[in-house]
Amino acid sequence: MMAESRNADIAIVGAGPAGMAAAVTLADAGYRPTVFDMNAAPGGQIYRQLHAPQASDAVMGKDYRRGRELLDAFLQADIDHRPGSRVWWADNDASGTALGVLARGQTQRWQARQLILAGGAMERGWPFRGWQLPGVMNAGAAQILLKQGALVPSIPPVLAGSGPLLYLLAWQYLRAARPPALILDVAPARRYGEVLHQVHRAWLGRDYLLKGARLIGALKRAGVPIRQGITALEAEGDTAVERVRYRHKGRWHTQPSELLLTHFGVTPEPQLARSLGLEHVWHAGQQCFVPRRDATLAAGTNLWIAGDGGGIGGALNAEREGRLVALSLLENEQRTTAEQRREGQALLAARRRDLEARCLLERLFRLPESWLDDQSAETLVCRCESVSRGELDLAITQGGAGPNQLKAFTRCGMGPCQGRQCGESVTRLLAQRLGGTPDAVGYYHIRPPVHSITLGELAAREASRA
Amino acid sequence: MFQRLDTAATPTRHVQVWLDGEPHRVAETLTVAAAVLQLRGWQGYRRHVDGTPRAPLCMMGVCQECLITIDGCANRQGCLEPVAEGMRIERQGGDIHDG
Amino acid sequence: MKQRDFLIVGGGVVGMAVAYGLARAGQGVTVLDESDDALRASRGNAGLVWVQGKGVGMPRYAELSLESAKAWADFAGELTERTGIELEYEQRGGVDLCLDAEEARSRQADYAELQNASRYMAANFRWEYLDREALTSCLPGLGETIPGGTWSPHDGQCNPLYLLRALYAASRALGVETRPATPVERLEATAGGFRATTPQGQFTAERVILAAGLGARQLASGLGLTAAVRPVRGQVLVTERRPPGGRLPTPQIRQTASGGYLIGDTHEDAGLDKGVTLAMMQSLAEKAVRIYPDLEAARLVRSWGALRVMTPDGHPLYETSTTHPGAYNLNCHSGITLAAFHAEGLAEAIRDDRLEQSFPHFSGARLHVSAS
Ligand SMILES: Cc1cc2nc3c(=O)[nH]c(=O)nc-3n(C[C@H](O)[C@@H](O)[C@H](O)COP(=O)(O)OP(=O)(O)OC[C@H]3O[C@@H](n4cnc5c(N)ncnc54)[C@H](O)[C@@H]3O)c2cc1C
Ligand SMILES: Cc1cc2nc3c(=O)[nH]c(=O)nc-3n(C[C@H](O)[C@H](O)[C@H](O)COP(=O)(O)OP(=O)(O)OC[C@H]3O[C@@H](n4cnc5c(N)ncnc54)[C@H](O)[C@@H]3O)c2cc1C
Ligand code: FES
Repeated sequence: MMAESRNADIAIVGAGPAGMAAAVTLADAGYRPTVFDMNAAPGGQIYRQLHAPQASDAVMGKDYRRGRELLDAFLQADIDHRPGSRVWWADNDASGTALGVLARGQTQRWQARQLILAGGAMERGWPFRGWQLPGVMNAGAAQILLKQGALVPSIPPVLAGSGPLLYLLAWQYLRAARPPALILDVAPARRYGEVLHQVHRAWLGRDYLLKGARLIGALKRAGVPIRQGITALEAEGDTAVERVRYRHKGRWHTQPSELLLTHFGVTPEPQLARSLGLEHVWHAGQQCFVPRRDATLAAGTNLWIAGDGGGIGGALNAEREGRLVALSLLENEQRTTAEQRREGQALLAARRRDLEARCLLERLFRLPESWLDDQSAETLVCRCESVSRGELDLAITQGGAGPNQLKAFTRCGMGPCQGRQCGESVTRLLAQRLGGTPDAVGYYHIRPPVHSITLGELAAREASRA
Repeated sequence: MFQRLDTAATPTRHVQVWLDGEPHRVAETLTVAAAVLQLRGWQGYRRHVDGTPRAPLCMMGVCQECLITIDGCANRQGCLEPVAEGMRIERQGGDIHDG
Repeated sequence: MKQRDFLIVGGGVVGMAVAYGLARAGQGVTVLDESDDALRASRGNAGLVWVQGKGVGMPRYAELSLESAKAWADFAGELTERTGIELEYEQRGGVDLCLDAEEARSRQADYAELQNASRYMAANFRWEYLDREALTSCLPGLGETIPGGTWSPHDGQCNPLYLLRALYAASRALGVETRPATPVERLEATAGGFRATTPQGQFTAERVILAAGLGARQLASGLGLTAAVRPVRGQVLVTERRPPGGRLPTPQIRQTASGGYLIGDTHEDAGLDKGVTLAMMQSLAEKAVRIYPDLEAARLVRSWGALRVMTPDGHPLYETSTTHPGAYNLNCHSGITLAAFHAEGLAEAIRDDRLEQSFPHFSGARLHVSAS
């Protein structure tokens, strides 16, 4: 019955900075890892399209360019890189991990002795009234258009939300001579002062702070209006966005605009780790669940997680974790040299410092946990199945006492995105309504397929090998 | 709603695709969803099961708001499929029943 | 606090149907359930209100299924009226497909026997074998390689999740207290009734009903009840929404009211593992495409494994403890079909403490006899 398995000694899911760094380190040590990525080219989110950049360096900034060295090393090393491969199923036992991979319309079954998950992060689904309207797009998604094809908005957009990516995109648009009409920042201005008072962290995080200050300074100098500390956001329009409404200093304002780009931070893309049944814990600082990992970045037997998929640390940290995870894996096989062990120690120390510094960013860009509560009842929480906050509230009073019961009662999270956009909102809502911690409330059961696949593709085993 | 900067960094090949029956040339680095956003914006991109209009949100395979008909197959994830020479793309703004 | 009339252990569709029935009859009920991620057949089933095939070898079970199916429309209507929740119930008949000639032969033999097994069945059970040609009118687009199937007008389908929700909503509106995340660790008799010990404290009532699905294995024997159930895994695939296909439901595949196709019907011995396997998913996909070739392009959106609550002979177990009067155990593997009966006849029999007298065929005695 079963399609014959292909074997991978070490499989890596994701060719972003974490996956590329892990693969390169392993290749240097004489292994030939198999790297799956659903995109057509390596790079991950930050270094998307870097092999043939579309927008100029002047627009993209130097963080983008910085990935070139890693990308070249990855492209030159002896690595079994498999672009256009979606890992949609995974199952792990003592002997390793079996993967279901969709490539060129066929399901391949792989058996990996060691698996490194480096699937990265996604932009957080953060409901506000009207977020399902065409014309609302994630800021990161708009940045993907910029990277993919030097595409920029033809009208000045409103940028709203919280987090470094929001200002980075605004700055990139400015550099492209397409400044945004308005920036709406959830973080109140006084946060910046509060953050600077954490002197030790502020020192460790001075690079982040300076970078941020430079971006904001440039935007201000160019006359881009920035409203800090907005407490509510709405998109309005008939069939697409026509107006953006927001509350600032207690008063509602309206800004006509047909393009609203929002960003509410990033969270680990949870599906593969969840579908493997890995334990997750709520990270209060990052305001999301992260998979539990030990100091060697192991998340299970012969199973490792590196990069933003394990908790948000940014691109440099992802690259660092990629190297670290490779060294841990080598150590596990007793294949490390003294020099590599020293390197590992140094990487660990750098990682500690960096994550400590990132607490500043978390503090600065903290989202109000009561946001969903403040939304009007008709705000959609689940976009796929069009389930509103009000419907969830009703189902909770009827006995929907956990995420899975609520999903069963309302279809919230049952659509094709599999709850990626609503899962943590539902956890939050339940924690608030029933009075518990997110850890106690838990999360949806995630089952394959974690990426879309047709019945035909599923049934089509690799014919020649069966 | 989105346009290509005329100062693009790398010379890029363009391919011809058919969008709702009309030929267009787009950069070959684009995915289908990106090409449609460049050519048409989000007006009429897609209709949701509840009848409301929707358009791509994430561009990275997460949200499933970019479903579109590619070479006759409905409900392909437009943001994950690179464009290709001769590709036929149909928006699902009308009566296609999608997920 | 006044002692409750009933404690029900288990907030699945069996426990909640009985809770609803008892509350409607004026009883005070507390339902204790496990946490959100517990094993629950009630959240993983196919949603068929199905008569075909039930009770082969035990005609009384076939009769019960038929009676329950007949009562379902009123049952659903009343729940909707009470809660506003539509159960997506419809009874347009159903087809159990025969995937090869041998299956077609043995199926017809079984049904013929079932029909002759009792007066009631002879008078009420209607079915017909339809070959491929005849099937295509009720299953448009049926694949070329399916030889035929049995059709019956009694069969139907519902949304089992909305059924569960409506039972919760209606019960709570009637004063039933439901306590999630309150797993019962111990059950014992007290002077005036029964006591359940949970991490959340103790609960007492005059009588206690075990409706704990597979949880009966830990709790039943302490009260002199039968711990006989075992898990049988079923894996299910669901596709994205598709245009209405006008196809009658089958146990192999059915289109739900929201448009997705639900594909299932595997029976596996996998212990308590409710996971899905690639091999089984692939064979379900192959079967689905064999039945309806147009589904080849349908995207899969969800899959899951769920554990059937299976008694040794596959028939329901409704038993009263002889050592601990006032304690009952309910187990069945067609809790959706039987929900109308559970809320009505079964709940009444329990309220009046005449379960054994009213439904002697389903007591634990049959299992003990065959075991010895
Ligand atoms: C849209 C977006 C834009 C961002 N832009 C920036 C930026 O400009 N600057 C910055 O500093 N940070 C940015 N980030 C933050 C980002 O998380 C970086 O810190 C960095 O890219 C993380 O690296 P990584 O290797 O952990 O994951 P990623 O770079 O996200 O790489 C993960 C890779 O895994 C692939 N993948 C995931 N799951 C599967 C699967 N199941 N099957 C096959 N392939 C899979 C993905 O396609 C992706 O290529 C962005 C994040 C997002 C979501
Ligand atoms: C794949 C599949 C398909 C099916 N299809 C159909 C169908 O189409 N039609 C049909 O009629 N039937 C079908 N069934 C069968 C039907 O789902 C079951 O008969 C029914 O759900 C059983 O309900 P239950 O309440 O007894 O069990 P469960 O749903 O398992 O509920 C038992 C409850 O008891 C709780 N519990 C257990 N131990 C304790 C404890 N110690 N303390 C507190 N609470 C406890 C559990 O947490 C759980 O909530 C199917 C089953 C499966 C698995
Ligand atoms: S735009 Fe979100 S999945 Fe394609």
